[in-house]
Amino acid sequence: MTTAALTAGLERIPDQLGYLVISEDGVLASAGELENDEHTAGVMMEMVRTASRFRLQGSADPAFKRMSVILDDFVYTVTVSGQKVFVVKRQNNPHEPLSV
Amino acid sequence: MGCCCSNEGEPTEPLIPHTIPHPNPVSKPPNGTDWITTNVPSARTDEQALLTSILHKTAQNIIDVSAADSVMMEQHEYMDKARQYSTKLAVLSNSVSQKKALILPSLTSQPHQVLASDLVPYSDVQQVAKIAAYAYSAISQIKVDAKEELVVQFAIP
Repeated sequence: MTTAALTAGLERIPDQLGYLVISEDGVLASAGELENDEHTAGVMMEMVRTASRFRLQGSADPAFKRMSVILDDFVYTVTVSGQKVFVVKRQNNPHEPLSV
Repeated sequence: MGCCCSNEGEPTEPLIPHTIPHPNPVSKPPNGTDWITTNVPSARTDEQALLTSILHKTAQNIIDVSAADSVMMEQHEYMDKARQYSTKLAVLSNSVSQKKALILPSLTSQPHQVLASDLVPYSDVQQVAKIAAYAYSAISQIKVDAKEELVVQFAIP
């Protein structure tokens, strides 16, 4: 898959503020608020590595498809496919529960 | 050892044969020299035999490492060993590199769909935060209730 093909789908994600495509060797592609953000890339890489080490009992595969790092205003959604880590920064619009 | 007392009347240095109390003083020959010359050889043989047996026992219980060097290995034996060890190393390093590759497992084959799908509902996030807070509170209340000494002295006889 070429870099353009990797990123074309990421551009179309609703509410996306930026993205990163990272391999073991470093950042392959970046855009928006995450453009050239090596620091975030390193942190996300370490977080997803740590998370993928957890296994549910009796399961050989990681028990998740996506990792969400939720902050007040935005969310980092992270997944791994074909030895590449995809990070997308998306707007967070938390719906406060209605208190009646 | 050997002939050491030529004159019995003179005060002599306490030599080993003299310090051994003789079972029968009457049978002691008038000349100390005779007594020594007749008794020392047998004592010496006993001592020698004892030493030999100690040496023998020790030799049986000792593994002489320096002697192992003298065991010569043929060149082809060296080559065989080298080959054997490198095969073992290759197998081990394979499993190590596999482990390293496993650090980044593939979570999905469709990363774009997974990333574009709806965000986690706010209520779910709240629930997880609540459970985490409970767990944190529970863990922080764990404490050691020391009832006896952690370090004790063993009574070594």
